[in-house]
Amino acid sequence: MGRVSESDTSPPPAAAREAAAAPQPLPMATEPAVPFVEIETLRAREFIPAAKEALSALLKEQADGKMIRPVFNWAGRNSLFPLHWGLACCAIEFASAFGARWDAERFGVVPRSSPRQCDLLIVNGTVTWKVAHKLITLYEQMPEPKWVIAMGNCATGGGPFRTAYSVVPGVDKLVPVDVYIAGCPPRPEALIDGILKLEELIRERGE
Amino acid sequence: MEKVAEFLAARVPGAVHAVDPFPRTAGRVRFDRDRALDVFRAVHDGLGFTHLSMVGAVDWVDHREVVYVVWSDARREYLLLATEVPSADPRVESASAVWPSANWHEREAWELVGVTFDHHPDLRRLLTPDGYAFHPLLRSFALHEPEELEVKVRDV
Repeated sequence: MGRVSESDTSPPPAAAREAAAAPQPLPMATEPAVPFVEIETLRAREFIPAAKEALSALLKEQADGKMIRPVFNWAGRNSLFPLHWGLACCAIEFASAFGARWDAERFGVVPRSSPRQCDLLIVNGTVTWKVAHKLITLYEQMPEPKWVIAMGNCATGGGPFRTAYSVVPGVDKLVPVDVYIAGCPPRPEALIDGILKLEELIRERGE
Repeated sequence: MEKVAEFLAARVPGAVHAVDPFPRTAGRVRFDRDRALDVFRAVHDGLGFTHLSMVGAVDWVDHREVVYVVWSDARREYLLLATEVPSADPRVESASAVWPSANWHEREAWELVGVTFDHHPDLRRLLTPDGYAFHPLLRSFALHEPEELEVKVRDV
């Protein structure tokens, strides 16, 4: 236990040592598109557009963002912030998933109370036509890139209330949905599984 | 129950059709809908039923019925007020001038069963979105595919 095996301590072969000594040259941009010194002297109001311009120029310059985009993708998919918004009984399971027992914060998923700080909308419950425009407003308030999980049968397809006069038959009539979770309500494990599926989806899309 | 019937017959003569017994209440008063406000005032001021617990409406296909459940703290009992309205002209005087809590109950009754309350201060939809074209708890309301219901997105 804890003993280091001999193969780890033995010196690497000569060929490997030579390869390590000669590092591969990184494809670096010679000059940044926008001088960053100027950005540091900007006022707060001017900072965000200038930084956005500098970043987008940098992304374009570095072969369509082949270097930076995977970093953003990795950071984004491992720190999904869902909106702290409960609609119906699925919200109880949603709350349990972030409690001590299931602890979805292990995966960097932290519910936030403002849609401006979120990139994940978990629709947990029955959506009525009365609340539909509020859901659309919340979705539009979230910054790009953003994803939607339809949690439970009601959000997926209206559930047992599909033909009711007041219920939206599936939240994909209102916002684009990335992951559907079945269940009535789904257990916290199912929600965590859906979040992990979404992470795989983000990785595959390379957003 | 007899006391209620006697009082109402003396206070608002001709407005009350009958007072029926009803379990665990002081009775069920069936009154004429054209004299609704007089009956409400008599029950509130004269009999002391100062709390309106509920307003309901029932669709009996050939007519509709509006039911008021009122409570008296002094007597510690409920009283039911019921009136029939024809389906062709479902309208009754609003009770919100006598019991202010009737406001939202009557909005709901109008929205779901389609009974119009005259002189209501704010007869808007409560549970369904603005512009919803149906009274969904009417028996003539058929289930239809939800795609027909158009969502009203607020202009932001």
